[in-house]
Amino acid sequence: MNELVTLVEESATRLFKDFSESDAYDLLESGVFPTQLWKDFLADGWLRTTLAEKDDGAGLGLVGGYVLMRLAGYHSAPLPIMESLLSLHLLSEAGLPITDDLFVPVVLDNEQVGGNVPMTGVPWAHNAAGLVVIFTFNEITHINLIPSKNYTVTTSQNMAGEPRDNVQLNVNPLNGAEQLKDITTSQISSWLALGKSVMTAGALQRVIERTVEYANERSQFGRQIGKFQAVQQQLAVQAEMTSAANCAVDAAINHLGTAQEWELIACAKITTAEAAGYAAKTAHAVHAAIGFTHEYPLQLSTRRLWSWRDEYGNEQEWSTRLGNHVIESNTDGLWPWLTTQTGE
Amino acid sequence: MQRLNFEPVLTGKKEAALRSDVRRFLAAQGAFSPGEVIDSWSVCNPEFSRLIAAEGWLGMTWPKEYGGGGRSYLERYVVIEELLAAGAPVGAHWVADRQSGPLLLRFGTEEQRQYFLPKIVRGECFFAIGMSEANSGSDLASIKTRAERVDGGWLVNGSKIWTSWAHVCQQMITLCRTEAPTKDRHAGLSQFIIDLSHEGVTINPIKNMAGEEHFNEIFFDNVFVPDTRVIGEVNQGWSQVMAELAFERSGPERFLSSYQLLEAAIEILRAKDLQQYSATIIGQFTARLMVLRQMSLSVANQLQQGKLPVNEASVVKDLGTSFEQELPDALRLILSTEARLDAKQGVERLLSDAILKSPSFSLRGGTREILRGIIARGLGLR
Repeated sequence: MNELVTLVEESATRLFKDFSESDAYDLLESGVFPTQLWKDFLADGWLRTTLAEKDDGAGLGLVGGYVLMRLAGYHSAPLPIMESLLSLHLLSEAGLPITDDLFVPVVLDNEQVGGNVPMTGVPWAHNAAGLVVIFTFNEITHINLIPSKNYTVTTSQNMAGEPRDNVQLNVNPLNGAEQLKDITTSQISSWLALGKSVMTAGALQRVIERTVEYANERSQFGRQIGKFQAVQQQLAVQAEMTSAANCAVDAAINHLGTAQEWELIACAKITTAEAAGYAAKTAHAVHAAIGFTHEYPLQLSTRRLWSWRDEYGNEQEWSTRLGNHVIESNTDGLWPWLTTQTGE
Repeated sequence: MQRLNFEPVLTGKKEAALRSDVRRFLAAQGAFSPGEVIDSWSVCNPEFSRLIAAEGWLGMTWPKEYGGGGRSYLERYVVIEELLAAGAPVGAHWVADRQSGPLLLRFGTEEQRQYFLPKIVRGECFFAIGMSEANSGSDLASIKTRAERVDGGWLVNGSKIWTSWAHVCQQMITLCRTEAPTKDRHAGLSQFIIDLSHEGVTINPIKNMAGEEHFNEIFFDNVFVPDTRVIGEVNQGWSQVMAELAFERSGPERFLSSYQLLEAAIEILRAKDLQQYSATIIGQFTARLMVLRQMSLSVANQLQQGKLPVNEASVVKDLGTSFEQELPDALRLILSTEARLDAKQGVERLLSDAILKSPSFSLRGGTREILRGIIARGLGLR
């Protein structure tokens, strides 16, 4: 994975840096889509990161996609990167046509398939050309690309000002749906959760870097505040949790496509979400009042951390799922199960 | 800011085969005593250590010329995590295998390696750690035990404390002051291998609050140590000790000390109507354990590459000991039972052992505050 990381980081970092120096955040939060940034993103071909070369893709697969998403999280990129990448990946898996339009993936629960139940928290819905709707029907995974004319959107935002809309479908998702072979709905849900986990891991890294830098700059009582043990001890714990989050995400990415994929993703979501709260709280404590301002960029990361830890399942929900899984399905004991989470 | 490195690593077929061997070995041993499975790397059983030695599982990573196994750190990792998870009594050889041998390989003389390493590998020579003193805990550089130059060697006077199993071990690597303290507090310290059967060595047991007598206070009264038993450079002991601690701090023993309780709890929860709250707790701790294991494996792999990941090792130990301390606290709530000091088996006994032994988990090998200070230095704050 290392060479891939270096490759993606080298080429995408400049693009993301341009993002963070633009007025895109204020635009986004006032409801305007950052069109120019999106064009830049498309122009560099990043949308097709995961696709095979025969589909005009970069051939980097889901792994490459997650590497890019982690970087997007690090830079708080104000674009639907995770959503567009995973949509395209699903469309390609289903053999459906690929375009440069923005599509957003949504997994429906059973009630939403049958009835007229609205969807909440659909990211970027009002900016999208359509939704890639995934659901299970008759125990078969289905995929349906529903164009925007067939649903009604009420806009809403998460705490970071990112679009998280409420959507009412005006068509039956079963109409025109196709079967998606060899992928389960639960697996796709976990891919979305992993997307949010890797973005959180990236943001956590950015926050510890900003906070250490600030602690080394800011002086009180005649010395840098980072010289005080009370501050050092908190930052050490924040660094530990950031390390754990990044390690968990690496392990999950390494186990994509293996029998342990879901379990490692569960661990990644739990670990990143737990770290998010501690890191945000500690970073703000160390930054004090300046970090509480809109102007200072710490909030770009911390508001995302607070939002992302809840999206696609918070740490409590994932812990319960993982706990049930461990208790119910491993009659041979925990240890043999734990130690198969490797390449053995 | 320098990033902490936890580059992921995957074990493979070689490790899987070895794992099966260890499981077969453990199955043949039968169940271990329920009163000894919590913190089993503090349970001393020289006979069991010799069984492990016979399997070739001591000094696994050391060169074959010293009797070692010439195997990788990942292979060693697999063996020790299997033994620890099973609650095997590995305390007798633990220090010699984990840190004393590697220290001698790194800094020892050829004669020391040839003399000690094969004995350790055969399970015939156990080492104790001689660092802390009554007035020097976290502030290790303040030690008072001194070694003075005499003809052909050194004369050691002073005392060490909290020396686990010193009354069973044959040797102790002892940190002594060889020059008076100067402005550089870390200068003037040296490491010696002291034969504990030597004249002038007195060992007094100290009973701990969990009822065990594994640690001691040990006194040195004009103990002669020949020049051949100095480790590495005279007055360079501090940097050698820091290197030793990288081996000491990152292994799976830093998060598996109360693991047996988790397994037992899951067995009980499986048999009864599961409350959602219980599943959540099990899920949380499972996730922490899984991630700690990945982190610890990563450090093992870095040691294999010849690196000395001191900061990363401190991260594993701080997170790991929090895990093994918090586990009994969380499980007691969902097991809804009372711990029993004298229970012969069951979670009542495991809870009692885990809770009573847990304060030591985050003290031995460097307290939380010391570890976090090291991490803060790594972050560039000190």
